[in-house]
Amino acid sequence: MTSRPAPVIAFFPEASFGAALNCVGIAQEVRRMGGAPVFLCHPGFNGVFANYGFREYHLPEPPRSSADKAQDDWQAFINTHLPHFDLDPAAQLPTYVAPTWEAIVDTAMGAEAGLCALLDQIRPDAVVLDNVIQFPAIARAGVPWIRVVSCAETELPDANVPPYLSGLAPDAAKRSAFEAASLAATAPAHQRYNAFRKARGLAPLAEGLFLEPSPHMNLLLSPAAVRYDRALPLPPDRFRYLEGCVREETQFDMPELPGAGGPLVYLSFGSLGAIDTALIRRMIAAFDGLPAQFLVNVGGFLEGYDRVPDNVYLASWFPQPSVVAQSALFIHHGGNNSFCEALYHGVPSLVMPYCWDGHDNAQRAEATGTGRWIHRSDWTAEALRDAVMGLLGDTEMAGRLAGISADMKAQPGTRAAAEAILAQVAEVTPAVPR
Amino acid sequence: MPESRRNARQNHLALAMRILALVRERNMSPGDHLPEQSFSEACGVSRTPIRSAFKLLEEKGILSWREEEGFFLELGRDDGLDEAAQELESLEDSLAHRILTDRAARRIDDLQSVSALARRYSTSRTSVLNALKILSRDGIVTQMPGRSWAFQPILDTPNAADESLQFRLQLEPQAILTPGFRLDAQKSGLLRGQMQDALQSAAGSIGNAGFLRLDVEFHMLVAEGSANRFVRGALMAHQRLRKATQKDFSIPDFRLRQSLEEHLDILDALEQMQFDVAADLMTLHLRRSRRRRPEAANRGIPPLMRGPR
Repeated sequence: MTSRPAPVIAFFPEASFGAALNCVGIAQEVRRMGGAPVFLCHPGFNGVFANYGFREYHLPEPPRSSADKAQDDWQAFINTHLPHFDLDPAAQLPTYVAPTWEAIVDTAMGAEAGLCALLDQIRPDAVVLDNVIQFPAIARAGVPWIRVVSCAETELPDANVPPYLSGLAPDAAKRSAFEAASLAATAPAHQRYNAFRKARGLAPLAEGLFLEPSPHMNLLLSPAAVRYDRALPLPPDRFRYLEGCVREETQFDMPELPGAGGPLVYLSFGSLGAIDTALIRRMIAAFDGLPAQFLVNVGGFLEGYDRVPDNVYLASWFPQPSVVAQSALFIHHGGNNSFCEALYHGVPSLVMPYCWDGHDNAQRAEATGTGRWIHRSDWTAEALRDAVMGLLGDTEMAGRLAGISADMKAQPGTRAAAEAILAQVAEVTPAVPR
Repeated sequence: MPESRRNARQNHLALAMRILALVRERNMSPGDHLPEQSFSEACGVSRTPIRSAFKLLEEKGILSWREEEGFFLELGRDDGLDEAAQELESLEDSLAHRILTDRAARRIDDLQSVSALARRYSTSRTSVLNALKILSRDGIVTQMPGRSWAFQPILDTPNAADESLQFRLQLEPQAILTPGFRLDAQKSGLLRGQMQDALQSAAGSIGNAGFLRLDVEFHMLVAEGSANRFVRGALMAHQRLRKATQKDFSIPDFRLRQSLEEHLDILDALEQMQFDVAADLMTLHLRRSRRRRPEAANRGIPPLMRGPR
């Protein structure tokens, strides 16, 4: 009797650090449990997953002329949207959210042919989609697909959950107005996306929705400590909450800083935030002289900094889980992966949101007493320093977070996710040779 | 620099020097275990600072650490213990090291005057000049006309690291292929053992500083074997520069281990005199070692990477 081959699980994270590294954590656990995880890669992430030991399958690279154009597009994106990140969530709807949804729809349409070809080549036993939009090739692949909601829980609407991307409390008076404005802003992209779905044989989605729940399994990166009490609870046979999804990362060796020492503060604004070098320079100047040590993720812009204070250390990349574990405070943009890693390690968050669900997590951090929310750029050096030192000295919050951390570590989300994914495969994998 | 922090560092260094003196007094040999308790009692301090000093000695390649066993002596008097101790004393505790670290961390500009450095480090101009002479030996600083000193390119950014890799891709396979390549068998055996020990350690325990030390030693060994004196000199100088200034060195555990296994494969080929195979393996190893970090990405915007694809 021959043993059944290891089930091939194809992970397809969206092209952002949070989703990609969240999937790395789950895939590490799937591998440990006997599955064969592989990654479908957007151009630009090639090699990232291979360094964690996973086989990669690459979506086609754009032709060289398109790549050059993409560089120009990226610069144009920065020039256009940097001012928009200072706006409140409602004002971001027409300026940032609507064009971003248009770009997301373009991405889904552009990836479709390459994705079909790759899925034909790989013939996975299941596909894990960590994105905010459905790719018809996945829905039509003929195998179970698992949706990972690695954004804030607000991505799945409910009467007791604030509107997605609003930064509002659940019972905020502005709720209805925000919902109406959001639907209006996203309508053109939504109509275009539904036409694409129809052409690819998928049913249209209700207004405002770009991704349906999976009929097989949905995993929400939403720890109990910050979860909402839903008016319509999600059916547990198809929806599973994860207590963080922290990957195994290389050990971070703390560099020796010539400053006076003190607690460690980690600053990272995720995939996007490093582009605002002027803001990060202002922050670094405010940190100068504080009785703490600051590690600052400056992304690909390291060469734009000089005269770094003695209590600050810059790098273009940090093994974040290992750094957060050693930190006393995490300053971030409210990305769900960052927020959950802070909770997992019991570290308070100072959330300075740029956009998207960063606003939702900033509101939730304040409401649950797990962090503070301040505007990303509208602050004085004194106010920022007070916020940092206040959080470092908040023993009540530290005690609360220690309890949350212990609970999350007792039921790691990576393991729960891997079990849920492999259970789907066990239910449907035919016992015939492939 | 605040005195408290500097004092802590100097205390660890002083303790490390005291430990090395005890090692020599006790006639310890490579492979001998260094019990924390015994050294704690002998030095009259608690085990915590002893551990910090052991770790410092590990960073310098004088000790090694094995999980659940502790620290072990790597070097004996016949294979460089005294020199390593001297280097620790004269270089690591020196102003040169602090200046270089601050430059690599972008705390000081690439053009410096002796008087500005003397003010920053609260020391004499003579001390600063001595430190700059030490750095100039490895080509890290150059004296400009007038009174200023200029830092040369160092491995302080991802772009610099990428260019370093391109440079090595040009030269390291050639270092092996030049007729007359000779591998130092003794050093090779020692390094092989260290890399095998690292591969046996628990997942996530290698650490980037420990890996960088092994990596530089391996590539230095290859450089030293080259029969072309100019290739040898250029590569050895570059490895010294990597050792002194490479930062932002954060590689997933899987790739660290894969990289060590690639080193072992190259050593196998070199020991079997299969130089063409070794050169090809070196090319593959360096190509795989290229940093893989998406430079920027955003929802709806494809990530971009600068540099060669």
